Amino acid sequence: MMSKKKKYGAAKVAPYCYIAPITAILVLFVIGSVIGSIILGFTKYNIMTEPVFIGTKNYARLMSDSRFTKALKNTLELMVLIVPLQTVLAIGISVFLTANRKRFLGRLANSVIFIPVICAPAVTGVVWRELLNGKIPLVEHFFGLFKIQPSMLLGNAKTALITVGMVAIWKWMGYYVVIYTSGLLSIPDTYHEAAKMDGAGKIRGFFSITLPLLRPTIILGVFLSTTNSLQCFDLIFNLTGGGPNNASTTLVVYAYSKCFSAGAAGYAMAISNVLFLVILAVALLQHKMMKREASEVS
Amino acid sequence: MKKKLLSMLLIGAMSVTLLSGCGGGGSDDGKKEDTAGAAEKEAAEKTLEVWVPPLDDDTVNNWGGLMSDWEEENGCKVNITVVPWDKYEETYTTALNSGEGPDVGYMYNEMFPTYIDAGAVADMSSYVTDEDKDEYKYLENGFMMDGQYGWPLVTGVPFILYYNEQILADLNETPPETWEDFARICEAATKDTDGDGEIDQFGYACGMSTSDVGAMQILNAYYYNALWQNGGQIYEDDLKKVAFANEAGTEAVTWLKDMVQYMNPDFMSLSWSDAFATVFGQGKAAFGVYRSSQTDETVFGETYPDVKWDFVTSLKNKEFGTFGATDCLTLMSAAEDPDLAMDFIKYVTGAAFMEQYHAKCPGAALTKSEPYVGDAKMERIYTDDLDKWHGLQVGPCGVDILTQLSADFQGIMSDELSVDDGLKEAEEYANGLLDEYWADKE
Repeated sequence: MMSKKKKYGAAKVAPYCYIAPITAILVLFVIGSVIGSIILGFTKYNIMTEPVFIGTKNYARLMSDSRFTKALKNTLELMVLIVPLQTVLAIGISVFLTANRKRFLGRLANSVIFIPVICAPAVTGVVWRELLNGKIPLVEHFFGLFKIQPSMLLGNAKTALITVGMVAIWKWMGYYVVIYTSGLLSIPDTYHEAAKMDGAGKIRGFFSITLPLLRPTIILGVFLSTTNSLQCFDLIFNLTGGGPNNASTTLVVYAYSKCFSAGAAGYAMAISNVLFLVILAVALLQHKMMKREASEVS
Repeated sequence: MKKKLLSMLLIGAMSVTLLSGCGGGGSDDGKKEDTAGAAEKEAAEKTLEVWVPPLDDDTVNNWGGLMSDWEEENGCKVNITVVPWDKYEETYTTALNSGEGPDVGYMYNEMFPTYIDAGAVADMSSYVTDEDKDEYKYLENGFMMDGQYGWPLVTGVPFILYYNEQILADLNETPPETWEDFARICEAATKDTDGDGEIDQFGYACGMSTSDVGAMQILNAYYYNALWQNGGQIYEDDLKKVAFANEAGTEAVTWLKDMVQYMNPDFMSLSWSDAFATVFGQGKAAFGVYRSSQTDETVFGETYPDVKWDFVTSLKNKEFGTFGATDCLTLMSAAEDPDLAMDFIKYVTGAAFMEQYHAKCPGAALTKSEPYVGDAKMERIYTDDLDKWHGLQVGPCGVDILTQLSADFQGIMSDELSVDDGLKEAEEYANGLLDEYWADKE
């Protein structure tokens, strides 16, 4: 009886021990910094001196700050631009690569598409800036086919953000292709074979079998893509510097500039907290969708 | 069971490692040992922490090699840390926050207000002697916000107007002196030279992208000179309001906007340095602006061998004026031994040190005792044209105000905003910040 009790006690404690280290890391470095940021958002703080509590003054100022409004608009625009396009393209490429995974070219493409992911975003930004502005004949000729002058893209307020978005999609494509490919590979072939027997074509099979079964992966992919696009920084910093005329300044770029150049860290925290709320809303939405997905499956 | 025990042990080890990693300074015994060790070390040798950006291709060795006399004399080891430009301000603010900043720092004009307000840099006025005032040529450029917070180290590299001698000769023009001369030559120079129907030679090679150079640079290269040449300035004299949107400022930007028609069409995508290299440097423009250097004659001879060039330090409309940065060494308030740090600042900016340093890495002489080192062609910047360039008026909220001004300037030049709307937006933003700043002070 005694030994049973002991065993029961150890079994109860063990799981907590397993998650203790990661919980400690999360509490210290993630939740702690979020709480720190929320508190400092109510202060006047320049990093070098003690913060001074100023209530909701930072948030009141945000409401009338035209640069903040522009940055928020740009952030959301960038998200709307990146997420759907990245999702559709990544699924398309994944389907193609999965179908050709046993062929040499399929295997090669599978590896090559991941190369931009392992490049540092800052390097990617510099390389693309040089490609677009460097007047390289091959690049000029390629864009010329679409009647586009590449050297005008980053300097035009109407095209700067779109160009940044396209480079971001290119950079992270491999990452999402890997996610969607793993989702596709987890769909049993028997479903497709059964559909084939019933006379379904490839397109019907894709829309009626592949996409519905890929839904949990798509929800995850869309969530990751959304949070990544909302936090895009290095690429913008190196491609446009947030310009021209703040046309590509996002909340992260604005917060960085306020924090480290203008010495307004408290205000920067307030900006970051707004971004945090946006990301939190997306996360909750994703959580809700995943939960509904799970209940539908069960 | 064994597996479970092992995994529990591993978890325990991880937790201990994590917690010890997050711990403060270790045990008391350890602290005592550290303190004792530090005291012994201090007695043996003092250390001076100096943070500078990359001033040349090997600052640590170029400076380090010239330090031994001073180090020996003062029983002090100088630790030079080169902080990359792209993380410069970030490194300073985060280090000062954790109390790990340098004894002697290096700052450019726009950086100062934040650090002065935070009390992170010390007023060096009490260290300035009459001899210093007489010897240091640019000392007054380090006087800002009622104190000698900077001791000029890198100056004398103003942004100047280079011209293509061949293009001007073809147009039968002499070097421009006024805005009218400049506009007339730009208009004549902007043309299709090979007859393919596309303009391939421009009046003014410009680059107003801020991607790799930072927002301030387009103001340094193109804006301040127009503003100052028209008699304008950034702040009112009392620093309580900005003055750049007054009549003089509006006229200056209107004139610059008129020049857009003579610029390379991709000027909004290129940085000022890229525009100079790829447009002016390739002989495709009559004029280009670049940050001058004493070695331009030599360097350009190798980089742009086909371009025959010369320069005008500043055009004149109502006045002369172009931007010449004054980057300074500064005494950090947290310096352990301010007197020693100050002695170091005077040593490295003094004639003896600089003469040796400039022999390796040419630069403008900071003192009257130091001879000019550099190409003969560039010398007139420091003689005849010395009063045609100057540094920036330092005022509160500087970076914030100038960043917004830079963005609105881009908006104006790219035709997104009218001159009046752009300047009004920048002015309202700036005055809002200044009102808040001064209200806090009161």
